[in-house]
Amino acid sequence: MTAISEMAVAALGTVAFALLFGVPALYYPYCGFIGGTGWLVYSMLVKQLSEPAAALFATIAVILISRTFAVRKHCPVTIFLVSGIFPLVPGALVYWTAYYIVTDNTALAAHTGFLALKVAVAIVLGIVFVFELPQGFFRFAAKKDRRASEKKGKIKR
Amino acid sequence: MSERNQNREVLDAAMMAGHILLENGAEIFRVEETMDRICRHYGIESCSSFVLSNGIFTTAGNKREEIFAKVQHIPVSGTHLDRVAAVNQLSREIVTGSLTPAEVMEKLEQIKQMPGKSKKMRILASGVGSACFCYLFGGNLKDAAAAFCSGVFLYGYVVFLAGPHLSKLVANIGGGALVTALCTLLYMLRVGDHLNYMIIGSIMPLIPGVAFTNAIRDIADGDYIAGSVRMMDALLVFFCIAMGVGLVFGLLHRFTGGAIL
Repeated sequence: MTAISEMAVAALGTVAFALLFGVPALYYPYCGFIGGTGWLVYSMLVKQLSEPAAALFATIAVILISRTFAVRKHCPVTIFLVSGIFPLVPGALVYWTAYYIVTDNTALAAHTGFLALKVAVAIVLGIVFVFELPQGFFRFAAKKDRRASEKKGKIKR
Repeated sequence: MSERNQNREVLDAAMMAGHILLENGAEIFRVEETMDRICRHYGIESCSSFVLSNGIFTTAGNKREEIFAKVQHIPVSGTHLDRVAAVNQLSREIVTGSLTPAEVMEKLEQIKQMPGKSKKMRILASGVGSACFCYLFGGNLKDAAAAFCSGVFLYGYVVFLAGPHLSKLVANIGGGALVTALCTLLYMLRVGDHLNYMIIGSIMPLIPGVAFTNAIRDIADGDYIAGSVRMMDALLVFFCIAMGVGLVFGLLHRFTGGAIL
């Protein structure tokens, strides 16, 4: 139950930031869904695995769904990706680092700063690897009538 | 119209499409590819462009085709993904349809004028986003309400003061400091219960998500120069926010003797 409500809150937050980035209103539901799913994956895994590992899997989920929607809706993947990644970017860890530095807790500050870096690297790895998948892998999502033109155009997203 | 003028118009249109894409937060390969596609579609084979994170260099010309060269400086500005989507749609229409270069130019002009979301909407969205992330990162409902207030106030500062008047570094240090001061005030007035979660929620609108994501994708595509500039931009913003938060915390720590932290 809490997982569902957290997912809803994450979706709402993602939509709010999608608005700040000027995403067309038409795509808000998709952005919300992607943000919510990313957070759900992250929060379910973070208890069993470490933060970076959870962030890696959440990023992979976010990008797979983003690319699927991008093919389906014929629009740049950036629109979905940027808002979906947003809940995973380690803003909170950066804050804690600054907090521990100011409160003279150098050991914890170093630990948290390093953790923030590891989460960032995990997100990088997720993005890099999933974008290596060929565009054809996502063709199942394309609408049937457009499938022929898609093949001809070979449009990279 | 002579072929020479037509080519010039096509190249201008390609340049403008690239300009709009780059300015509003598209990746480098998308800019290059769109410009290339527009040129090829109208039969200019010799066009080649070099795109950096804040500039486009285009040249065309060989034995048969007229020489054309243009350099455009594009200052980094806000993200408007709706314009990126619109140019992307237009480039599809160019490839499949029969638009003349003049019509393309006209459509690009329209996209350039596309109104963004109103200031009121953006300020409200910032508040909602702050409240949501405050709750997600562990705050309760009272904290979320406080984060909503400071998120709204923060974006008012971004829209009316920092955006038009301040440099990026000062704007982000100021933003971090403003949020921290505001949240401390709300905390002392007993509006929220957890100071840390309130601040984490309300700094979220400042976090450079677009720069960070695009930087990674540019580097992965092999556009190292543009990618590292964008990564530097993202890291600097992170650093400035942390600095703003740290500054105010440091002051509070000194004045209150650590009573709050």
